[in-house]
Formats: sequence, C-alpha cells, structure tokens
Amino acid sequence: MRFSDILASIIHDMKNSLGMVINTLDELVIENEYRENDKLSTLQHESKRLNNNLIALLSLYKIENEQLDANIEEISIDDFLEEIVADNQTIARTKGVRLDYQCEDALTGYFDEWLIRGVINNLIGNGLRYTSSRISIYAEMIEDYLVFNIEDDGEGFPPSMIEAQTAFNRNKSLSEGHTQLGIYFASMVARTHKNGDKEGYVKLANKQRLKGGCFSIWLP
Amino acid sequence: MSFKQNPLEKKAYLIVDDFGDMRSMIKNMLMACGVRDISLAINGAEALASMETRRYDVVLCDYNLGPGKDGQQVLEEAKHRHLIGLGCVFLMVTAENTREMVMGAVEYEPDSYLTKPFNKDLLKTRLEKLIAKKQDLLPVEQAMAKQNHLQAIKILDAKIAQKPPNSNELRKIKGEIWLAASETAQAREVYKTVLSIRDMPWARLGLGKTLYLDKRYAEAQEAFQTLIDHHQSYTAAYDWLAKTYKRLNQLDAAQKTLQTATKISPKAVLRQQMLGEIALQNKDDQVAEAAFTKAVKHGRHSVYRHPSNYANLAKIAAVTKKGDAGLKVLKDMKREFGKDPHAHLYMATAESVIHETMGNSKASKASLERAADIYQTLDHHTTTDCSIEMAKAYSNIGMTDKAVDLLQNTVLNNHSDEALMDEIKDAMVTMDLQEEALGSVDTIRQEIASLNKRGVELARNGKLEDAISLLEKSSEQMPGNKVVNLNTALVLLMDMERKSLSAEGVDKIRVYLERVKKVDPDNLTLNKLQNRLKSAIRTTEQEA
Repeated sequence: MRFSDILASIIHDMKNSLGMVINTLDELVIENEYRENDKLSTLQHESKRLNNNLIALLSLYKIENEQLDANIEEISIDDFLEEIVADNQTIARTKGVRLDYQCEDALTGYFDEWLIRGVINNLIGNGLRYTSSRISIYAEMIEDYLVFNIEDDGEGFPPSMIEAQTAFNRNKSLSEGHTQLGIYFASMVARTHKNGDKEGYVKLANKQRLKGGCFSIWLP
Repeated sequence: MSFKQNPLEKKAYLIVDDFGDMRSMIKNMLMACGVRDISLAINGAEALASMETRRYDVVLCDYNLGPGKDGQQVLEEAKHRHLIGLGCVFLMVTAENTREMVMGAVEYEPDSYLTKPFNKDLLKTRLEKLIAKKQDLLPVEQAMAKQNHLQAIKILDAKIAQKPPNSNELRKIKGEIWLAASETAQAREVYKTVLSIRDMPWARLGLGKTLYLDKRYAEAQEAFQTLIDHHQSYTAAYDWLAKTYKRLNQLDAAQKTLQTATKISPKAVLRQQMLGEIALQNKDDQVAEAAFTKAVKHGRHSVYRHPSNYANLAKIAAVTKKGDAGLKVLKDMKREFGKDPHAHLYMATAESVIHETMGNSKASKASLERAADIYQTLDHHTTTDCSIEMAKAYSNIGMTDKAVDLLQNTVLNNHSDEALMDEIKDAMVTMDLQEEALGSVDTIRQEIASLNKRGVELARNGKLEDAISLLEKSSEQMPGNKVVNLNTALVLLMDMERKSLSAEGVDKIRVYLERVKKVDPDNLTLNKLQNRLKSAIRTTEQEA
C-alpha cells in the first residue's frame, strides 16, 4: 500500500466520525431553537469546514491518481442550488448571515454534481469567514459556459490573490503563502469538466453584484 | 391562510441502517418533517422481510450494512422480487463518493444517492423533489409494466414537448424503451438528438447498443471502445464491448475487456460470471477460477446467486488444485442451496465431471444418472440452462450423441432466442464439439425461419389450409418454439375470422398461446394475438 492510499483510507474514516459530530451539532442547534450561541456556532462552522476540506482532499487524491473522471449529468440548477442552500442554512443562520441563490427556473447544466457540490460547499464555508452579512450564489449561462458566482459583502479578495489567479488556472502548483486549498480544489475540479476542446476554469473578482469578493466557476 | 399539503407526511418510510445512532438520527429528521409512519431495519434480510409484509413509499437504505447483504443487493432483490412498487422512492445513503457505485451498477440503480453527513433540510428538499418526480413518471412506469411501449412513449413525448429542464432524462427513458422493443432506428433518433445537444456518455452507449442490435458489430466495437477511451470507469461500456467482441469471435479481447471492468467494480456478480464463462472458453483456468470465486463470494447474498457459478468453480478447482477441492465446493453449495432441485442438478453434473477428472468413471456415471433423474422433473422450457449443463456432462464422459440430442432439441424449441443460441454455441466450444455435429446451429435456425416464412406466405396468399397443416406439423416437432407456436395460432385465428368461431377452435389457439405465455409472458406478438382473439370472440358474441 502506498502512503497516499493509507492517507485516503484514514480520511474516509475521519469523515465518518465527523459526520456524526456534524449531525449531533445540528440537533443541538435545533434543540436550542436556533438561539444565538457563539460556541455552538463556532463548533458547527469549523466541523463543517473540516468536512469540506476532507472531501476536497479525497477528490484531489482521486484526480491526481486519475481514478476520477467527471461524471457529467444533466442537472436542474434550481434544484441543485436549493439543496446546497438548504444544506448550509442552519449554520449561516447561527452566524447571522443571509444565504440565498438566484437563477432562472429552467436553467439546466451539465456537470459532476458531487464534485461541484464539494467546491461550492467549500466556498460557502470560506465565505462565512469573510463576509459581513450575506452570501449569494448566482448561476447563469454566459456564451457556452455555465457560471456559478459565489459572492459576499465582505472586504473582498486581496489584490495579490486576484493577480495570482492566472497561475492557478495554468499550473497545478499551489501559490505560496497560505494553502488556499479551496481555490486549488476548485480549479482542479473545474478542469476535469471538458466539452469538446473547452475546459472549465475559475475566476476571482471583487465588487460584482455584492460589494465583497466574487468567486466564479466556469464550466463548458 | 391556505394549508399546503406536505408531500412527505402521508407516506410510509423504511430506514435501513446497521448503526443504531444513524437509524435514530434519520428517524428524528423525518419526524421533524412531520412524518409519522416510520419502520426500522438493522440489516438487509430484515429490510426485505419487512418489505414482504407491507408496501413502503420511501426506503432510505445505507449502502454499508455490515455482514450480509449490502444496500445495492437489497435494492436488486427488492426490485427483482417486486417487493417495492413502481412509485417507491429508493434512496441510497452512502459514506462517501458514490461514483464507483453509480458507474459499477449493472442493472438496477437507486433513485438517488445521499452522501453522509446530511441534515434535515437537505433530506427534506431531496425527498420532496424525488417524490414529485416519481409521481410525474408513474404513468410511464405503469404503461411499461403493462408492456404498453407505445403508450409510454406517447406520455414521454407529451412531457418532452413542454421543454422541461429534465428533457434529456426523459429522452434517456425513451431511448431505453425503444431499445427494449428492438426499435433500433427510433432509439438511434433519440440518442442522436441528445448528442446534438450535449455529448453524454449514456447516449453514446445507447447509440452503440443500436449498432449491436442491428448486428453492425464492427461499428459497435468502435463506438464502445471510443466511449471507454473517454470514460475509463464507465463499466457498462465494458460489458457491451465484451459482448460485441464475443459476436466478432474475438474471445481473448472479450476476456481482457471484462478483466479491466471487474477490476473497477469487483462486486458485480453477473459481470464476474460472464468473465468466468468466457475464460472457460479460452481455457484460461486461472482467470476463470478467480472470476467464479468472486461470483460465488459476492453472489452469496445476492439475488444473482446462480448454481452454475458454484458448479463451474468446483470443476475448475478439481483441475487446478485437486479433486477434493472441487468436492468441497459442492459441499458448501449443498449447504447454501438446501433442497433446490435446480441447484441439485448442477451439483450432480459437477460431481460427475470431478469424478471423471479423478479417474473414477463408475462414480461419474452414477452422478450423471442422478442428474438425469432430476432433469426429468424440471420444466425444460424455463430451464434451458439445465439442458446445456446436462449436454456438457454427457459430452464430458464421451456420450456425445446424448449431448447433441439435447442441444438440438433446445435449438429447435428456442431458435429465435439470440442469447440462448450464443450460449449453445459457447457450450459447444467448451465441449470441443464441432458445429457440424449438431448440423450447425445456424442451419437449423435458418430452416425453421424459412419454414415459418413459408407458412406465413401461404396464409397471406389465401392458402390458409396449407399454412395450417404446415405450421401445425412443425409445432408438433418443436412444441417449445415460440415463433412457430405464435404463427400457428395466427393462421388458425385468421382462418376462424374468415369462417366462423368455434369453441373447439378457440381452445386450440389457446393451447398454442399458452405455450408461449409460459416461456415469455411479455412477448409483444403474444399480447397482440391475445387481444385479437378476445375481440374476435366479442364480435361473435355481439352478432349472436
């Protein structure tokens, strides 16, 4: 067994334990009738982030090992985003953040539901740290691409990150400084989405619809 | 203020999980959604037993259920045994990425996969969507269950015309219906429409299947190969590629293809069985032994458990290891299958082969005699696999005449069953029997086909009496042959419609239809003839 295989199987096990932790915390929040509780909210937020990161690690492991090609399906965007928002609503509410989404009713997309769900959950998790009061997901078709924009009303991305973005779309290497696993993961996943000779990518910007940062995933 | 009916509330739920905390957690979530009718099961056997006693609207089943059946096997058996209705939502709960399961599934897929951890809100949203979708597609499934393909297509077309977001999903079902009805041109049309919108692997697979069904094997081979090149874990594409290689007589390539597929999803019993059988033909004992070992191991709790896998494993073990190893497999088999005569026939034939391998001719003959006794008690029209197994056993001890006789009869009675004819040809390869020994499977088939054609032509030219005497005589020779029986019934009915209906004549027609019903109750021509007979009877009654 290679070390990376051992690592992957340990991560599976960690995820199972964490799953129980997250569910128990959700129950506690409900028992508390969503009353503000900073400690509970921190626990909830951090365990969710941990889970999202483990999913990211597992997916990256599989992408690197070429065990994974995107399982492209036809997906109703409205249904998809409704679920994601439902999944993250409890925690957003305890942090006092408004979480919503916007898209046309009949919008359909072609992508790997499991992978993109992982990426968006990860971005929401990060967003909850930096936003001041709101996170919105906007989905739209721009030319031949389906675009998910995850926006917040916080301070926005620092200029250095926006400048560095061509690097993580072209190279596989992580940019220096903090790990930025989220961005790396998102761009790797975007790239497994191909249609004809087009390939998915990610984009960072500030002050789009909301005044904070805007992370976009472009899928052909 | 208006109260909207909560679609989740008035349904019956079954939660299957071996983990107590998880069961109560899901139960709590459902109760928080207003659900009251919730049953629990701690393993697959308990779940199936529970489904036998009552109907559930929603089954939430964990994939990993500890020892015994896994979630996929629960689903397969529930569907196979019709324990869950068409409107039932089956939700598979999994610990992690489900890609391997999705891609590895051979026949049945759950309605959705739910990855742990999930919370109440997500579960509620998902269930609402699934229940609505099931409701929407129920008329299609009902039409399909009644074998009314055209009605199902009509409903789907009406839905697609409204351009819903899931129109390609509807087209996928439409394509499968056309394929099931062997309407390849129509199916091709559907898949081409999808591919013009988006390059979807299932549409490419569908297109390949139409080529295969049209016997355009070289093109089919290329289609499946291209698909695999782009989607390396799409195991269904490997199955079809292997089937195509078989038709092209490239058994080595077929074996290699299945070996790759079983590496991706080792638990699919049918795939391991297919690999084992091809390896046997290739005389690759090592691969065959490994494949049958896995087919037996993973099939133990599966509805796809088949005695032939045990018998084949026993026979090979006797060769690669020693005779006792083979006999030990048979002992296990006896313990697992109990009194099932179907299994006992396989035990007896395998025993005969093993004794022969061990040089004990007398014991071998005795076992074969026991097999022959069991064979006499079975219905040969529904257990054609036993006829082939018997033939193999006879040929193994040099009784080639008996073997040829059995196979010839099977061909005569089932000449239109493509898959069975392939099995017979495969069996002849493993028996080292020349095709000529049988008078060539294809020649026999051609003779029957031209005989049928002559009968129908005579009828069409108004020579009904000649047609009747020709077809009646043939169905005497091959009473199990579907096409001959159907044609005989048809010409008799045509004759009666022209003259007048008699009770005696109706009974005669029913005998022929009954024979077909026994082996193929869903046969489209059979359904048409049954309806035609009914309306003829009705008209006569009205006139009288």
